[in-house]
Amino acid sequence: MAEVRRKTGKPLQVNPHKLSQPMGATLAFLGVDRCMPLMHGAQGCASFTKVMFTRHFCEPIALQTTAVTDVTAVLDGGDYSITESIKNIGDKVCPALIGVHTTGLTETKGDDLRGVASKIEAPLVYVNTPDYQGGLESGWTLTVQALIEQLTEPCERTDARKVVLVPHVSMQPIEVEKLREFIEAFGFEVVAVPDLSSSLDNHLGEKQASLSGGGVTVAELEGLADAGAVVTVGASVKPVGATLQKKNPAIRHRHFDHVSGLVGTDELVAWLLETSARDTPPAVVERWRKRLQDAMLDSHFSIGQTRFLLVAEPDHLAAMAASLREVGGKVALAIATVDSPVLGDIEADRVIVGDLEDAEQLRDDYDIIIGNFHTEALAHRVGKRAVMRGFPNYEEIGSALKNDVLYEGGAYFLFDIANAAERMRESEVHHARERIKQQGAAA
Amino acid sequence: MEGLLVSSKPKIKELLVESACEHNKGHKKGPCNTPTPGATTGGCALDGAQIALFPFADAAHLIHGPMSCVGGAWETRLTPTSWPGRDLTQTGFATDINTNDVVFSGEKKLAEAIDHVITHYAPEAVFVYSTCVTALTGDDIDAVCRQGSERHGTPCVPVHAPGFVGAKNLGSRIAGEAVLRHLIGTKEPEDTTPFDINLIGEHNNTGELWRYRHLLEELGIRVRSTFSGDGRIASIRTAHRAKLNVIVCAKSLISMTRKMEEQYGIPWISCSFYGMTDTSNSILAIAEALGDADLIARTRALIAREEARLEEKLIPYRAVFAGKKAVLNTGGNKSWSIASALQDLGIEVVATSVRKSTEADKAKARQYLGEDAILMTSPASQQAQVIDDTGAHLLLAGGRSLYTAIKKRIAFTDVNQEKKKSYGGYDGLLVLAEDLKNSLQNPVFELVDRKAPWQK
Repeated sequence: MAEVRRKTGKPLQVNPHKLSQPMGATLAFLGVDRCMPLMHGAQGCASFTKVMFTRHFCEPIALQTTAVTDVTAVLDGGDYSITESIKNIGDKVCPALIGVHTTGLTETKGDDLRGVASKIEAPLVYVNTPDYQGGLESGWTLTVQALIEQLTEPCERTDARKVVLVPHVSMQPIEVEKLREFIEAFGFEVVAVPDLSSSLDNHLGEKQASLSGGGVTVAELEGLADAGAVVTVGASVKPVGATLQKKNPAIRHRHFDHVSGLVGTDELVAWLLETSARDTPPAVVERWRKRLQDAMLDSHFSIGQTRFLLVAEPDHLAAMAASLREVGGKVALAIATVDSPVLGDIEADRVIVGDLEDAEQLRDDYDIIIGNFHTEALAHRVGKRAVMRGFPNYEEIGSALKNDVLYEGGAYFLFDIANAAERMRESEVHHARERIKQQGAAA
Repeated sequence: MEGLLVSSKPKIKELLVESACEHNKGHKKGPCNTPTPGATTGGCALDGAQIALFPFADAAHLIHGPMSCVGGAWETRLTPTSWPGRDLTQTGFATDINTNDVVFSGEKKLAEAIDHVITHYAPEAVFVYSTCVTALTGDDIDAVCRQGSERHGTPCVPVHAPGFVGAKNLGSRIAGEAVLRHLIGTKEPEDTTPFDINLIGEHNNTGELWRYRHLLEELGIRVRSTFSGDGRIASIRTAHRAKLNVIVCAKSLISMTRKMEEQYGIPWISCSFYGMTDTSNSILAIAEALGDADLIARTRALIAREEARLEEKLIPYRAVFAGKKAVLNTGGNKSWSIASALQDLGIEVVATSVRKSTEADKAKARQYLGEDAILMTSPASQQAQVIDDTGAHLLLAGGRSLYTAIKKRIAFTDVNQEKKKSYGGYDGLLVLAEDLKNSLQNPVFELVDRKAPWQK
C-alpha cells in the first residue's frame, strides 16, 4: 500500500503538530464526570495544556497542577506535592475522582507515583505519561487503561445488552455522542470511556469548570466489567479491549480502526446486526446510509480530481483517508504526529511521521490540506486551501460539534471537503480570467 | 574569581527579590509568588520567556524540551511584525526530546537542531530555551550555544527559564537578563540622536505599538529598539546607546531597566498607552524625560491635536455610554489602565479587581476610580454581588466570568489577551468604544439564559 516513513530523521521538529502524552491524559480525564485532572509537573505543563483545550473547545477546562518547583524537584519524591495538591483541591471542590498524570519533569526525577497513590485516601487514578514518550494518542489510551485497571471491579457475568465503547482521542465530543446513540439504536446500552460528549460538547452549564461536568461516572467505570462487549475505535485504543477482558474474560472485544465512510460504517452495522440478532437496522440508519450514498455521488467529481495532504494523529488519518478514498480523493501525503501500527494501512500514496516543515517542502504534491489550525498558515505560505480538523483548532468555533463519523457525519465531511475544493478551483479560475483580462487590456 | 564562573544562568534569587519590584515591598511572605500545589493557575517561567522574546520575528526560538512546552503554544502569540523576512515568531522549533535524550543527554541533538535552524531559516539570532527536563538532566545549553555562535557567526542565546523556577513574570525577567547579557551592547549603532529611546516590555500585542509609534516619530523621538514588539535583533544589540528606557506596562522587566541604568547610565520611566489620558500622559512623560523644551512644546501641541481629533470621533459614542456603569475584573496594571480608558469614554467604573495588583497599583486604582469605587480583592466571589449593589451595566473580565454576566443579564466584554484587537493608543480607544457599544447593544446577554418553555 503506502510508502511509510516512521522516523523523522531530523534533530528537531519545525512547525510541529505533535502534541504531548500528558495532554492526552488530561483530555481523557475530562471525559470522567466530576473529575479533577491533576498534572504532576511544573505549573506550565498544566497551563499550556489548559490554554490549548480552553481555546480549542471554547470552554473553561478543569485542570490542576502539582506545581513542582526547582526546589521540590530535587527534595520531594512526589509525596509532598501530590498530597498537598489533593488537600488544596479538597478545600475548594469535592471531586468524584482525581486523575494524577505525570510529565517529563516528574518522570525524569523518578517519582514513585504508585507508592504515593497507595498512601492517598481520596478517590484517585494515576498514570505515568512522560512527555518525552508517545503523544496525544498514547496519553489518552494509557489513561483509559489506568481508569479500568484501577477502578473497574472484576466480574464473572455479562449483560449481552451492555456495550463499552472506547473512542480514540481525535473523536470530537459530538462524534462520541453520535456513535453512542448509533449503537444504542440497535438496542444496546452503551457506556463510552471516556465520554467527552456530555462534558466538552459546548453546552451552557451552571458551573464554570471547577470540575469536569458530564462524562462517564466513577460508578459506571467501577461497573464496566459486566458488559457483553467492548468496542474499540482507533488502533491506538485497541489494547484497551484486553485491559477490560482482564476484569472479565467473557467480554467480547470488537475492534474497528475507524467508523468513517460507507465501508467503515457498514462494518460496524454488520457487527451490530449480528450481535443484536436483528435483520434490519433502525429506519433512521437506513435513511442516513442512502444520504451518504447520494453525498458520495454528489462529491465524487470534485474530490476525485483533488490531491490531499492530511495532517493528523494516526487514527484520525486512517479515518479521513478512508472517507476520501471512497470517492476517489487522492491522498498524496499523510503526515502523522507519531508512529503507529495503523500507518501501514492508511490509504495514501505516502505516509510519514513528521511536521509542517515536511509539508512545506512537499508542497507540489497536494491541493487541499486537512489538518489542525496550523495548516491555515501553511496553506497561505504554499498557496493552497486548508480545512480545519484535529487538535488544536483556534481559528474556528464549534469544533466540538463537528461530526465526520458514521453515515451521517460521513456525508457532512464529504460536503465540507468538496465545497472547499470547489472554492479553490473557482478562485483559480477567477485569477486566471483576471490575468487574461489584464493581458487583453495591456495589448 | 567571578570571571571563572562562565555560566550565563541568572541568579534566580536575585531576580526574585528585585529591589525595584513593588511586589517585594512590605511582604513578609517572601518574594514574588511561589506556586501552591493543587491551587495554581497561570503559566510558567518558560511561558513568560516565550511571551517576552517571541515577538523578535527575525530570531529563531528553539525550545529544548518535550512537546508540552511548545506543542499547543506556538503560533499563538498575537504579536505582528513588519520584518520583511519569514516571521519566525510564528514558526515553532522544538527538539522534541525522547527517552534516549533524557538518558544520554540531548546536547548533540540540540547542536544539530541549531545547525538545521540556521542553515534553513538564516535567523539574526537563535534563542535556545531550556526546559524542566533538559535543566534536570543537565544539558549544558551554554556550551552548545557558545559553540553554535562560533560555528555559524550567528548569536545563539541561552535562555535559562525552565518552567519549574517560577511563574511567567520571572521567565520574562530571565528573558530580559539573557538579552542584556548576550545581545545588548554587542554592536554600535551607525548614528544616534538625542531623542533615542528603547521601549521595554512593549510586545506589540495585536499591534499596540503601531497605535502610537508614529506619533513618537512625528515628534522626532526615535525608537532605537524595542524589547520586543516588532523588534529587531540588530537594534536591540545597540540598545545601550539610547537616552531613555521606556517600560511599557511590564513590572517584570524592571530588573532589565534598572541594570541598564547601572551599566549604561540610561534612566527609565514607566508608561501605559491605554486610553486617551494615559497615552497623552505617557507621550508627554517621554518628552519631559528627554528634557528638551522645544520637544516638550511640540509634544503638547501634538497631544492637543490628537485629543481634539479623538474627541470628535467619540461624539457618537457619548450618548451610548452616558450613565453607564462598568465592573472591571482583570489583573495587575490593567486594573487601572483599562479603567482609565473606560473613563475616557464616559463610562463610570464602579469596581475593579486588585487581586494580583501591587500596593502601587492599588493606590493608583483608588486614585483613578475615586473614593466610592469598590476594589475587589476576591473578584470571582465578589463580582456578582457588586453588580447587584452598583447596578452595573457592563462586566469587563476574562472568559470565566461570562456566566456571571449572563446570570445578571448585563453586557460582557472579554478583556483577556486572547482578544484579537488592539485597544492601545488614541485610535485603540475608538476600537474599544465600538466593541463596548456592540456589547451593550447586543441582546444575547439578556436573551440567552431565558427560561425554556418547560421551565416554570
